[in-house]
Amino acid sequence: MRKNKLWSLGLFLLLALTAILAACSSNEGTTEPAKTTETSGEATTEETKEAVPQVLVFGRGGDSVSLDPAIVTDGESFKVTENIFETLLNFGEQDTTIHPGLAKEWEVSEDGLTYTFHLQEGVKFHDGTDFNAEAVVKNVERWKAGTAEQFYYFNTMFKAEGKDIIKTVTAVDEKTVVFELSRPQAPFLKNIAMSPFGIASPTAFEAAGDKFGDNPVGTGPFVFVEWKRNDSITVKKNDNYWQAGLPKLDTIIFRAIPDNSARLNALVTGEIDLADGINPSDAGTIEGNADLQLIERPSMNVGYLGLTSTRKPFDNKLVRQAVNYAIDKQAIVDAFFEGRAEVAVNPMPSSIFGYNDEITGYEYNPEKAKELLAEAGYDGKEIELWAMPVPRPYMPDGQKVAEAIQKNLADVGIPSKIVTFEWATYLEKAKNGEADAFLLGWTGDNGDADNFLYALLDKDNIGSNNYSYYSNDAVHDLLITAQSDLDEEKREQLYKEAQVLIHEDAPWVPLVHSIPLLAAKKGVTDYVPHQTGSESLINVSIQ
Amino acid sequence: MVSNSVEMKTVEEKAVGPWKVAWQSFKKSKAALVGTAIVLFFILLALFGPLVAPQDINDQNLSVRLLPPSGEYWFGTDDFGRDIFSRIVHGARISLAVGFLSVVMSAVVGSFLGIIAGYYGRMLDTIISRIFDIMLAFPSILLAIAIVSILGPSLQNALIAIAIINIPNFGRLIRSKVLSVKEEEYIVAARAIGMKDSRILLRHILPNSFSPVIVQGTLAIATAIIEAAALSFLGLGAVAPQPEWGKMLSDARVHLMTAPWTMIFPGLAIMLTVLGFNLMGDGLRDALDPKMKN
Repeated sequence: MRKNKLWSLGLFLLLALTAILAACSSNEGTTEPAKTTETSGEATTEETKEAVPQVLVFGRGGDSVSLDPAIVTDGESFKVTENIFETLLNFGEQDTTIHPGLAKEWEVSEDGLTYTFHLQEGVKFHDGTDFNAEAVVKNVERWKAGTAEQFYYFNTMFKAEGKDIIKTVTAVDEKTVVFELSRPQAPFLKNIAMSPFGIASPTAFEAAGDKFGDNPVGTGPFVFVEWKRNDSITVKKNDNYWQAGLPKLDTIIFRAIPDNSARLNALVTGEIDLADGINPSDAGTIEGNADLQLIERPSMNVGYLGLTSTRKPFDNKLVRQAVNYAIDKQAIVDAFFEGRAEVAVNPMPSSIFGYNDEITGYEYNPEKAKELLAEAGYDGKEIELWAMPVPRPYMPDGQKVAEAIQKNLADVGIPSKIVTFEWATYLEKAKNGEADAFLLGWTGDNGDADNFLYALLDKDNIGSNNYSYYSNDAVHDLLITAQSDLDEEKREQLYKEAQVLIHEDAPWVPLVHSIPLLAAKKGVTDYVPHQTGSESLINVSIQ
Repeated sequence: MVSNSVEMKTVEEKAVGPWKVAWQSFKKSKAALVGTAIVLFFILLALFGPLVAPQDINDQNLSVRLLPPSGEYWFGTDDFGRDIFSRIVHGARISLAVGFLSVVMSAVVGSFLGIIAGYYGRMLDTIISRIFDIMLAFPSILLAIAIVSILGPSLQNALIAIAIINIPNFGRLIRSKVLSVKEEEYIVAARAIGMKDSRILLRHILPNSFSPVIVQGTLAIATAIIEAAALSFLGLGAVAPQPEWGKMLSDARVHLMTAPWTMIFPGLAIMLTVLGFNLMGDGLRDALDPKMKN
């Protein structure tokens, strides 16, 4: 008992002391706000440039699931595979326009059914295998042969109602490959540029089978070295890389540090060079630290409160609308995102083509919410409000947001209990439709409206990414038509109509489009974060 | 029969004596008095504090979030613009209630099992004692986490978990005391005249074995408060928006750098309460321990 007393006394004194010291130092810092440009203009280290070791330690929130991009869905896996593998097409540096990748040129037929890709010359996989049309064919055939469980992304992007959208893929000659589609797919080029469709060495994946993810072989700027599970992944420079002078780094170490504060601390102490997942509340501290730079990832996400429309009381549209009126989104954005976010109106951010800006959203109006609840005959039964246990790029602190929503709901007479589970369980249970109301979000993969509206709210995706079990046949028809129509203007119109219907049905409370924050040491140069959440570090160097 | 009542009378007289002696020695210890004062202060706070707390503890006002301590908000405001002082005052009720209730529960169950094990011995003793040994083989907080994981996170379940993990401490303590008390002549006499076991246990053995339980109980409240705070800190105890101190600490963690007062005050509240109970418990132990008597 005595021990206990001493222990608690000591710990809390220490804690108080640390806090006070920390507060003092940060106060000094904030009096001289430093610039946070992404390129470091001040070349104070010119002399020592040669001597700086080109090793980057990238601290992030979780470990990768697998390093085979074709089989994974999590951002932490793509962050690494983006550096080992390359796709036929690339996105722009900070947008989702289409640029050459492993294919230097491409042609699309009039009817939108035939895509011809001309491949780069002189590219080899890390194991020495030649990159050619045959390799591309083997990759696509591997994806096509797999089940939905094996190749999740390929199945959602290139299969519909059990049918392959990519009918055939053929190698016309060494450097030309032709894709034949069974029906036109408007976002085809954007889809093919997504991280999951990195081209892997056929020799390697044929030999490794299921184990390919443990020893990935691609054509990318970095070669896989080792993987210590739940700790770090190391990749080194590809000396035979096909683009001269690249990459600039010799080694990248991806380290998993789950706690946001611990990760920031590791950055401050110099243990890591670049930290993902910065709490908005820490942004000020970083801006005040002359050794660090704050980096904003362009926003292409949505954080929302899903209202499972198969469960009481949310099977009633009026209740769902009432919840939309009840929540003060602006206050949440101001408080828990420190203003580094935009209040969401639609299920996708305004930067996406097809966004309907005529919809103004449900304003914060508790009185209106109460009226709707009365009209709906809501019985005042307590609901479960699910909050994610881990910080996500679209919502750094789900627990706090949930607590604010809990109060908003209580104000209009909906009692709620905040519930949380371990992250994988949380997703699994929400996917099974076990939640009443749940916080969740989505980061776009390719910048197309299809990747938001169809992926998240179409009835085809119930049991996959449509966690709210929203099902509306009119919306489904609009989304499917938009998916297969190549006329951009018509597509825009269709998506706008779909958003009107979704807004009316209110399967979600769209909350926020956040700006995910990263921080790096001053010396980290040319790191350009991409809105999809993962990017190649090919141009990054350390000064 | 006459001789029996005389016997009982002397026992009662004996029982009064030691308590007086204990109080004399307890008064002498300054630390114990300070501890008692702190404990009384928190008990009063828990009883009447909510009446004097200046603000509504659940009233969120996001426009005044994370304000430093000031005249209006004595301990500053938290993430949701709630008054930390008011929340700590309300939190005293939760922490003390969890501390007292869990200790009462474990003391009752522990004493019951301990007396049975000590008095009847043999198989019953072996079984109960081995169960205690098994429970004590686990680090207590780990066991508590396991129990809460099974029951589901809530303050009530945290209380139950803390009560369960403390049972063996009380059980073993009282068992060892019973082992010596049951050999006393008055017990042998009571048995010889054919008194029922239940009466012997309740009227004679329990009162004469109980003083260590009081000491253990006081100290256990301190541990229980820490354990409840720890469970809430880990998200396994109090749920939002309850103003539990450990939960307040956990919620404030992100603001360690920018708004340290959100952590310092709940931390101090936990520290002071625990310190108070420990000082008081130490004083009680010294006062009630016959070996310490001069």
